[in-house]
Amino acid sequence: MSEENRIPAIEIENLTKDFRVGMRGVKLRAADSVSFRVEQGEVFGLLGPNGSGKSTTLKIILGLLRPTSGSCRIFGKNSADVAVRSRIGFLPEAPYFYGYLSGRELVKYYARMSGVPAEKIDECTEDALALTGMTDAAARRVKTYSKGMLQRIGVAQAMVHDPDLVILDEPTAGIDPIGSAEIGDAIRAMKSRGKTVVLCSHLLGQIEELCDRVAIMNRGKLVVAGTLDEVLTQRGKQLAVIGAGTQLTPELVEKLRERDGLNIESVSHPRISLERYFLENLKRK
Amino acid sequence: MFFLKKIFWIARNTFTEAARQKFFSFLLLLGAGLTAVSLSLTHFDFGDSELKFIADFGFGGIFLFGSVLAVVTTVQLFFTEIENRTALTMLAKPVRRGEFLFGKFLGVWCLLGVFVALMCGVLAAVLALRAGTLAEVAGARGLPPPFVDFGGLAVFGVLQWARLGIVAAMTVAVSSFAQTYLYAVVVSFVALIIAQLQYVFADFASGEKVSFGVKALAGTATKLIPNLQLFNTGEALVFDPAGLSAAAIGCALGYGVIWIAALVFVGMWFFRFREI
Repeated sequence: MSEENRIPAIEIENLTKDFRVGMRGVKLRAADSVSFRVEQGEVFGLLGPNGSGKSTTLKIILGLLRPTSGSCRIFGKNSADVAVRSRIGFLPEAPYFYGYLSGRELVKYYARMSGVPAEKIDECTEDALALTGMTDAAARRVKTYSKGMLQRIGVAQAMVHDPDLVILDEPTAGIDPIGSAEIGDAIRAMKSRGKTVVLCSHLLGQIEELCDRVAIMNRGKLVVAGTLDEVLTQRGKQLAVIGAGTQLTPELVEKLRERDGLNIESVSHPRISLERYFLENLKRK
Repeated sequence: MFFLKKIFWIARNTFTEAARQKFFSFLLLLGAGLTAVSLSLTHFDFGDSELKFIADFGFGGIFLFGSVLAVVTTVQLFFTEIENRTALTMLAKPVRRGEFLFGKFLGVWCLLGVFVALMCGVLAAVLALRAGTLAEVAGARGLPPPFVDFGGLAVFGVLQWARLGIVAAMTVAVSSFAQTYLYAVVVSFVALIIAQLQYVFADFASGEKVSFGVKALAGTATKLIPNLQLFNTGEALVFDPAGLSAAAIGCALGYGVIWIAALVFVGMWFFRFREI
């Protein structure tokens, strides 16, 4: 691993952000001594209920807000440094774009803003449109796009300059499961290209499926951070899967409890989630 | 040079967005219509001042509708970017806040340039039409034709563009810290009126029967408020054969550019610290 690759994509230390609200300037602490790091090449989930401080943290990462105290470094550089943003792609929550531009014009516009060289703009634009499955709709005006298409064109503009770090804030909000799965595929494609992805989402199933590590925030504080195994595995409980052919009747369960002293709390059949059923049966060919 | 490219593209995008708004077309049609309607007033006998009367309609239309366009469009484009979060997407790119704000201002200023050019075009057409008729009448009476300097009208247009640039820059400065659309519009219009009445402060500052305190206050206000009356040069440029000296025109333009730069800089300063 090279020296450059060892530098974390994001390194946040004791980050605190206070807002002054109202006429009296009452202090509201949106982020409270938050510390975590995101390594290069991983998909990282930032979770938490509304008002937990996720968006504030993201804005500080993007250099849009200044922290009250603490530090935030992107690839080893201060997040307030404008130049570091050429390595970041960002999709805001519920994105809205210039409706009078076509999808292609929009992505080209953001490519120019991101510093893509003039001779590469067309190529990068087409790549980003293809990655998000928007090539066919690229000539249409953005104002005619559905919510899902807006999200995908948002991902395209975030990816157009081939950033090393992609931050997606609720990329699947308001999208049907199929569109959501397509965005999931785009995230997997990013990971396979070595990109670091930070994903903010309320769709926990998707986070579970896509993320290598997660951080959970609540009321401005970091509750937990780690791999999904570290966070989700309940070490105090075990689950046994009984294969087909063995009927686990209530009598048998009672016998196992009495004879072997097994602490069986409940018995149920494994089932797939509705989302998985939907995807397996209805996914676009 | 990358920062110039970014400013150019932001300005171009802002111009396109503003030019496609119905509000721009509405004000343009209203202003041009008002100028054209002044022709129908020719059945009143205004004598030699008829052309000046028509021109006054045009001059007034350019300033009134231009100012409304400058304030409303600037505020609208600025707040739309923040409310719709397009500003977030933009500022998450390697774009400085100052570049973003300056690009937005330039886009609106270009739109104002188009507005002034079209309004001056309509006014020139109306003046040419009426001046032709009046020249025939004057010729039949053995009188000299009325004097209209269309080159002077073009210079007047450039000066009005500078004047509206100051109005747009004032609005940018107010919008950079304003938290609501309405506040930005109201405060910008108040600032416009104060700038239009700046000469009142100048009168106080130079008045002899005024106390020292008032004099000092008025003197300070004179320095802090741009004098928009300085650009009321229409009559001298269009109807006075002597016109205005190049030095006077240059001074007015320079005055406009300095005020625009100062106000945009103030806007950039406030916007730097704004939490969006």
